[in-house]
Amino acid sequence: MSAPAVELVTVNVDGREVQVPKGTGMIETALAAGVEIPVFCYEPRLGPPVGACRMCLCEVEGMPKLQAACTLTAQDGMELRSAQTSAKAAEGQNAVLEFILLNHPLDCPDCDKGGECPLQDLTFRWGPSNTRMHFPKRTFEKPIPISPTISLDRERCILCYRCTRFSEGVSEDLQLVAAHRGAQSIITTFEEEPYRAHFSGNVTELCPVGALLPSTYRFRARPWEIDNTPTVCGLCPVGCNTWATTREGKVQRILSRNHPEVDDGWLCDKGRFTFDHLRAEDRLREPLVRVRRRGFEAVGYDDAVREVARGLREAGGSVAIAFSGGETVEQASALARLVRQGLGGDAAILPDDLDPAVDAFRAPLSAIRDAEICLVLGDEPVMERAPIVDLWLRAARRAGAEVVTVGPAGSVSTPPGSAAATSAELAGGGGSDELRDAGRRLREASRVAIVWSGDDHDSGRRAATLAASLGLGDGSGLYVLPRSPNGRGVAQAWYEAGEGRGFDPSGEEELGALIVSGDEAAYDPRVAQLAERARFVFATSMFTGDHTLWAHVVAPGTSYLERDGTVVNLEGRAQRQRRVVDPPHLDELELLARVGTELGVPIAPWAAEATVDDHAELAPRAQLEAPPEFAPAASTNGAGPGLELVVYRPLFSGPGVERVESLAFQRPAPEIELAHADAQARGIATGDTVTVGLNGSGRALRAAVRRKLRPGVARIAAEHADGLGSHVEVTKA
Amino acid sequence: MPALHLAQDRYGWLPPEALREVAEALDLTPAYCYAVASFYDMYHLEPVGRYEIAVCTNVSCALAGAQDVLAAFERELGVQAGGTTEDGEFSLSSFECLGGCGWATVVAVNWRYREHVTAGDVPGIVAELRGGEGAGDDA
Repeated sequence: MSAPAVELVTVNVDGREVQVPKGTGMIETALAAGVEIPVFCYEPRLGPPVGACRMCLCEVEGMPKLQAACTLTAQDGMELRSAQTSAKAAEGQNAVLEFILLNHPLDCPDCDKGGECPLQDLTFRWGPSNTRMHFPKRTFEKPIPISPTISLDRERCILCYRCTRFSEGVSEDLQLVAAHRGAQSIITTFEEEPYRAHFSGNVTELCPVGALLPSTYRFRARPWEIDNTPTVCGLCPVGCNTWATTREGKVQRILSRNHPEVDDGWLCDKGRFTFDHLRAEDRLREPLVRVRRRGFEAVGYDDAVREVARGLREAGGSVAIAFSGGETVEQASALARLVRQGLGGDAAILPDDLDPAVDAFRAPLSAIRDAEICLVLGDEPVMERAPIVDLWLRAARRAGAEVVTVGPAGSVSTPPGSAAATSAELAGGGGSDELRDAGRRLREASRVAIVWSGDDHDSGRRAATLAASLGLGDGSGLYVLPRSPNGRGVAQAWYEAGEGRGFDPSGEEELGALIVSGDEAAYDPRVAQLAERARFVFATSMFTGDHTLWAHVVAPGTSYLERDGTVVNLEGRAQRQRRVVDPPHLDELELLARVGTELGVPIAPWAAEATVDDHAELAPRAQLEAPPEFAPAASTNGAGPGLELVVYRPLFSGPGVERVESLAFQRPAPEIELAHADAQARGIATGDTVTVGLNGSGRALRAAVRRKLRPGVARIAAEHADGLGSHVEVTKA
Repeated sequence: MPALHLAQDRYGWLPPEALREVAEALDLTPAYCYAVASFYDMYHLEPVGRYEIAVCTNVSCALAGAQDVLAAFERELGVQAGGTTEDGEFSLSSFECLGGCGWATVVAVNWRYREHVTAGDVPGIVAELRGGEGAGDDA
């Protein structure tokens, strides 16, 4: 791909000549000339500039009035004078700031933004030192909790519209809006309903004043008494780059840390607010060993290590590991080596097991935005599995890309579980007219993004075959969404530690020992079943749970904020997680190193020195070995009475989120999504209570009618689907 | 916006349910519809009377005595600008430019204009509307 020729223009800013590509924004042009123009509302990531705050007023040669620099672009011969050299601009800017401060409460000593507030900083640097406002300032009720996680102070708001532009033009949730007009404008939600959206927390970072603040951070810390540690979120397979703010050894908030190829500086509410799980009441704090008839007993690490080593040694090589997929590569590698090299075991449950062929089509997530056409396959909503990917897809659509979604709620409607079959049809140029047309456009386009969000065990291989058959070249990318945050890294660590594939837990024979690594694995019903066949079970987990009934030794686990190590995200990018706070006990790696000593496997008790930069780069593409052949796709089980149930795993779920009270409102309501036609046939409207079940037994859920959902299909979040089969009958209660 | 007008014609104003219905029909959110509806004075977020009387108080009309006209309406109807009479018959508002500067003061009754209105005309207008004639429900 050859870069298009760039036309350079010469612009004069405050007497300094600078050459920039034609069309560069004036704020950036001035910066290139070494001149800072202060701004509030300007934020290129929010789309086109709006010129709302007027802070960037400048004098432009040939224009009689002062201009908002943020709305101008560089043209050849332009002469711009900022407030630093133009008295007229300085006067204008001063007046603007005086106006902005007219009703601003100046409660900086009381305000959490104080010390890191653009309004405060710019007023100090550029603003008037006093006010001529003698009238009482406007007051509002405050703070208003616009959601359990965000507080709004309307007195401090300067109406820059950054937050509403985010809601409308980035996350597209359209929930936070500016109501009324002119001086009466206020930022609000509808009817005081909570701002409930996966990305709502970003408005607290966008707000240039103390109007929108995270409720969890109110009166918690001051900028001069905190530490910000660069790390990587460990809650979904995107791996957004973050800052973790700590004060006195406690995490107080999480902020985004812009990695332009991964997250573009956005962070979902799960990544932002889940940190409170560190302080959950039911955290395990010391190792527990089961004592016959007396239940569990807290023991020291020496006893625990001895007990674990004994149990594993007695297993005689019949050892399996159940991974969570959230472990660091170092942790997973330690476990894998312990079992494969130290004990001669060869079995693991891997949450993700992607075929390495996908790496032949590796590309940064940001390439989605530049695609001409995007294809999204699979039943699992992208927003629930890897939310940032959904933002990239929206950005692509806004930039003019066609986004084809194939699935039960897609623009091309297919039955549940048919991603594999559809991909085979697309690759072979078959299928419905709609699909054939889409396939043709995918072949014609030079920049394609394919997102695969399903749970088929061989989705990686199928996705790679599809990408190969569509001829995806440079500039195109394939993104198979793993189900766990570091599923790719864990699988890689497992395979590097020895020969052989993963493990099929469906057998019947007795197992010598089972290692349950982390809470996700401990919650997995398949793992619980496996544990019944194991003579010895060793579990690590942060929290108490059912597994504390069936494990023999339980060691306290750490959160991703409490350990050092490497994680591999869905792109295949290795990133570094840093220990932000110390865990209240040994971390897993230290414990495994001690077990390793007992079993004769040398394991380093810490992650190697950072081999990954703060902004990790993506490794080059792998070579595609002979494109894998297509196995015929298993036909989906479409037949059955009633509606076919699609169960998805919501983003706001899992052991961490479930322990954070302020995120309870984000968890899916007890609701079942129904297709329009099915709802009509049953006389059901959105909001009705319906009975969902089969053969008379059923439960009451709220109905949500969706026009996009395929008739014959109902969709439900996993936590409300417990005990429901693959097909259900839905009747109005 | 036409959808909001349709909803307002149906309900007489825009209650939250109406905004929800418009949002669902257009695949938008109620918040977005509320933002639009609250921006424009011709959408009502509270119930209004059968007759909506809008008195232009912008520059031209103000120079021609619009404040007196408004005060006369307030006296005659017994409500302040922005209010609705207790019998639900009249809503009175002070309006920005109605675009009839040449015929100041302009008073719109259900968006049908009356021109060159003076304070002295007000009792007559109110009496006429109370009599139920010439209401202009078709506006």
